[in-house]
Amino acid sequence: MNGAASTDSCSPTVLKPKSKKPKYSRFSQQELPANKLNSNTRIFSRYFQVPKQMKSPVFIYYQLENFYQNHRRFVKSRSDKQLRSKGFKGDKKSMETCKPVLQSTDKSLIVPCGLVAWSLFNDTYGFSVKGKSLQVNKKDIAWGSDKKYKFGSNVFPKNFQNTDEVGGAKLNSSIPLSEQEDLIVWMRTATLPTFRKLYGRIEQDLQANDIVTVVIQNNYNTYGFKGTKSLVLSTTSWVGGKNSFIGLAYITIGGICLFLAVSFILLYVIKPRPLGDPSYLSWNRNPSTTSRTLS
Amino acid sequence: MLCIGQVEYIFSDKTGTLTRNLMEFFKCSIGGEMYGTGITEIERGVAMQTGIKIQEVEKAANTAHEKGFNFDDPRLLRGAWRNEPNPDICKEFFRCLAICHTVLPEGDESPEKITYQAASPDEAALVTAAKNFGFFFYRRTPTMIYVRESHVEKMGKMQDVSYEILNVLEFNSTRKRQSVVCRYPDGRLVLYSKGADTVIYERLADGSGDLKKVTREHLEQFGSSGLRTLCLAYRDLNPDMYERWNEKFIQAKSSLRDREQKLDEVAELIEKDLILIGCTAIEDKLQEGVPACIETLSRAGIKIWVLTGDKLETAINIAYACNLINNGMKQFIISSETDAIREVEEKGDPVEIARVLREEVKKDLKTCFEEAQQYMHSVSGPKLALVIDGKCLMYALDPSLRVMLLNLSLNCSSVVCCRVSPLQKAQVTSLVKKGARKITLSIGDGANDVSMIQAAHIGIGISGQEGMQAVMASDFAIAQFRYLTDLLLVHGRWSYIRICKVVMYFFYKNLTFTMTQFWFTFYTGFSGQRFYDDWFQSLFNVIFTSMPVIAMGLFEKDVSATLSKKYPELYQEGIKNVFFTWRVVAVWAFFSVYQSLVLYYFVASSSFGGQNSSGKIFGIWDVSTMAFTCVVVTVNLRLLMMCNSITRYHYITVGGSILAWFIFVFIYAGIMTPYDRQENVYFVIYVLMSTFYFYFTLILVPVVALFGDFIYQGVQRWFAPYDYQIVQEIHRHEPDERRTGLLEVGNQLTPEEARSFAIAQLPRELSKHTGFAFDSPGYESFFASQLGIYAPQKAWDVARRASMRSRPKLPKKN
Repeated sequence: MNGAASTDSCSPTVLKPKSKKPKYSRFSQQELPANKLNSNTRIFSRYFQVPKQMKSPVFIYYQLENFYQNHRRFVKSRSDKQLRSKGFKGDKKSMETCKPVLQSTDKSLIVPCGLVAWSLFNDTYGFSVKGKSLQVNKKDIAWGSDKKYKFGSNVFPKNFQNTDEVGGAKLNSSIPLSEQEDLIVWMRTATLPTFRKLYGRIEQDLQANDIVTVVIQNNYNTYGFKGTKSLVLSTTSWVGGKNSFIGLAYITIGGICLFLAVSFILLYVIKPRPLGDPSYLSWNRNPSTTSRTLS
Repeated sequence: MLCIGQVEYIFSDKTGTLTRNLMEFFKCSIGGEMYGTGITEIERGVAMQTGIKIQEVEKAANTAHEKGFNFDDPRLLRGAWRNEPNPDICKEFFRCLAICHTVLPEGDESPEKITYQAASPDEAALVTAAKNFGFFFYRRTPTMIYVRESHVEKMGKMQDVSYEILNVLEFNSTRKRQSVVCRYPDGRLVLYSKGADTVIYERLADGSGDLKKVTREHLEQFGSSGLRTLCLAYRDLNPDMYERWNEKFIQAKSSLRDREQKLDEVAELIEKDLILIGCTAIEDKLQEGVPACIETLSRAGIKIWVLTGDKLETAINIAYACNLINNGMKQFIISSETDAIREVEEKGDPVEIARVLREEVKKDLKTCFEEAQQYMHSVSGPKLALVIDGKCLMYALDPSLRVMLLNLSLNCSSVVCCRVSPLQKAQVTSLVKKGARKITLSIGDGANDVSMIQAAHIGIGISGQEGMQAVMASDFAIAQFRYLTDLLLVHGRWSYIRICKVVMYFFYKNLTFTMTQFWFTFYTGFSGQRFYDDWFQSLFNVIFTSMPVIAMGLFEKDVSATLSKKYPELYQEGIKNVFFTWRVVAVWAFFSVYQSLVLYYFVASSSFGGQNSSGKIFGIWDVSTMAFTCVVVTVNLRLLMMCNSITRYHYITVGGSILAWFIFVFIYAGIMTPYDRQENVYFVIYVLMSTFYFYFTLILVPVVALFGDFIYQGVQRWFAPYDYQIVQEIHRHEPDERRTGLLEVGNQLTPEEARSFAIAQLPRELSKHTGFAFDSPGYESFFASQLGIYAPQKAWDVARRASMRSRPKLPKKN
């Protein structure tokens, strides 16, 4: 992958149309550390130890923080019609939302247009255990419905990243969009500014105490918006990945219910309130408010 | 309609509203013996309260009940009085009734066809009574009165007797009595006199203390039963003495100046040394169930003011009869009929009269107010009642005195205003409405009540004999005063509760829904990205949460209609507005914020990781659809938690709303429209439902969200129960009255009505033409009357038919 650094940050909050290019400052793209790396230093490796056995498949996620994929201007900056229909010329209304990433420098239509596609994540990871590299399966990482209905099997990328400012990854223009699973995953925009996206699968068991070497190509610029990137390896059970929240919530609520049940039972035993005791009626408790005309 | 559950002051007209304007001879006391077996409404009410069963004497089936005569005692009727201990006094009593009056007979001279024209209905009632006792007054000439007397000489014998009327000393409000001097055919000269007990007792001859004492006891007894009493007395005159007196009388009568006064003075000379015969008790026939209704309403914390054009005494009498005033109450009477005022009035200087009146009213108000405050401060002081007449009211409504009048009258449990004009009725109403800022209700039947009906928050017209003006000016029209209990205690209360709940629920559901969106905003860099799809957001109020709240607004009832009337105190919740205070709003707001936090954060933070065994990740639209599903479920279930009565309509609407959401989202997420739409949620629900996450979250989140409300409701019910909750608990074992509820209208039916109702319930052959164009209640009763079936057309009847029509299959099953 070409590590050509994007000239603008990936965060839509600072994305501006060409004409409104930000003035040069210390925080401008050209000054940021990632841009200053030469192509050698962009590739580095990390090691980690597998704490316990991980059964195949092991899922690889990348996690971004402080990336507002749910920003209003970002979310709408796409054309679903263009993504699924071949030869879509672009009607005015639906293409309006794709600006500023609509036309390439030679005024031809970009496919896929819009900021979401433009900012496609482009870090790559390579895994190896004990010197033996692990195969990363990047098939079937997107929801089947997206592949089937939302991204056309006869729509091919065109003029993509062919503008002055290059966002993220480039796409192979000979592969139809429905097969570009990285793009499909990326374009299902996340709910929160901290999110995970599925990168691929290692279809091989990882044994406990294995040392895994990860070779990372650090292409994606997160320095511009003070974001962080993380890599997550996870397995799933039949319900899904690790999700302690729901489990904890179930147990906590169950516990509180039990506690309240016990305390209400105690209350009922210790200080019962007789049901339907007329002396609790407000006009019986407070005789002065009674107004009986007949004595 | 919100107001009708919060009425605190009722302003009622008297004639036609409280009373039927029908006087009936009801009881009497002759020679120290009380006759008459009837039981007045008040006695019935007292007995009901104290729990004594009254032995209602079965009326003989053949007793002809005549207008103005509601008396049944075999000891006096059909000549039986001859066997009583002192038949002579009885004879005098009847003769007094038959002779001492100013009634004119009209029509045929037979007991059945004759009609009496009288200045007041009381007099007509007395003469009718005499007729029924066998002393039939049938003809009057300028000097003679003809009476057909039965059973006098001996049983069964009838004879026409003519009495020569020598002088008539007429009734006026100062004399409060009326006398007639007559000469029997045998030459006996008698003066018959009848009048208020106070004036008659002053003029009785000495002696026969026992009789006086017993009669006085009877008078008090009648009075406390709400009956209007008159004392009867006579005096045998010596011809010489009479001649001397008659000269003076003729002189007085022919004098040109101060004739009235002179006549009064002359009358005094002869109206003395009277011999007491007894007393009569006339019932000013109240509308059916009025005292019970008033008693119920006052237990409900509603204060009833009577505004009437009648005289002071009549008004007080009716107030007694309706239980508004009783002897245990401290009465403040502000009247213009005092000596001081009368004196000034005789001088006739209007400026002076106005000045004096104003002074007097001011003085009276001040003393009353001070006295009232003393009673207010003492804990168990008597209850207060204010009686004020129109003339005084005119000055009391003056801006300088208005505040004092208002303060005084608000401290009184009942207020009677007499001799008031229609304008004053409206003024009094708006005095309370604007001055005290209380919800007021006016009820009346005549054109003179229109202003008052329009001045109050709620105007009620009684569709009676006095035309339709009142009904046309009113918000509600009812047939009788007693239906006010149903209107206020049942329907008013329900409508109050329903409106409170509907308003609070709307507030809650929109706040909860919007707050989830609000929390999301914090995580989008404040860019304004919407959490939910446009269509979800638009249809939330239109489809997904609209029907259940309508069902609640229609069917919610905390206690049944019978219990509402059995515990009228429950109505005070409406007067105090306990279901719509800032505290209630705050509680709702608190829990809706809590729920929105749960709904947003639980869904958002639990959707972070990979789903299912394929480890795929959700996007924003998956999460928002999940959250929206939870919101719809939570908000709809919350409605069930706040309902006291859950009918099948609740289940249908709540279930239907949730189902509607799923149907909608299945379709909406399943189609791609040709028009430009961002297909954000395309296929989202199917993706969601293919994960286990969806089901776990759908169970967890609504439970957690409603958990707070659930605990709050439990604690509130246990530690600080509302009155209606206690009532619910008291009657928790009783079957739901949804079915028998229809019969409740019938609980005061007369036997005939009950029978016709029973007939209506009977299975009958349904013709196959039920849907024909004339199938309306009016036509129904028309055909019924053609067939000879009596079908009374009443308001409740129509309502009952309407309610029966909603279940048309019922008769088939029987």
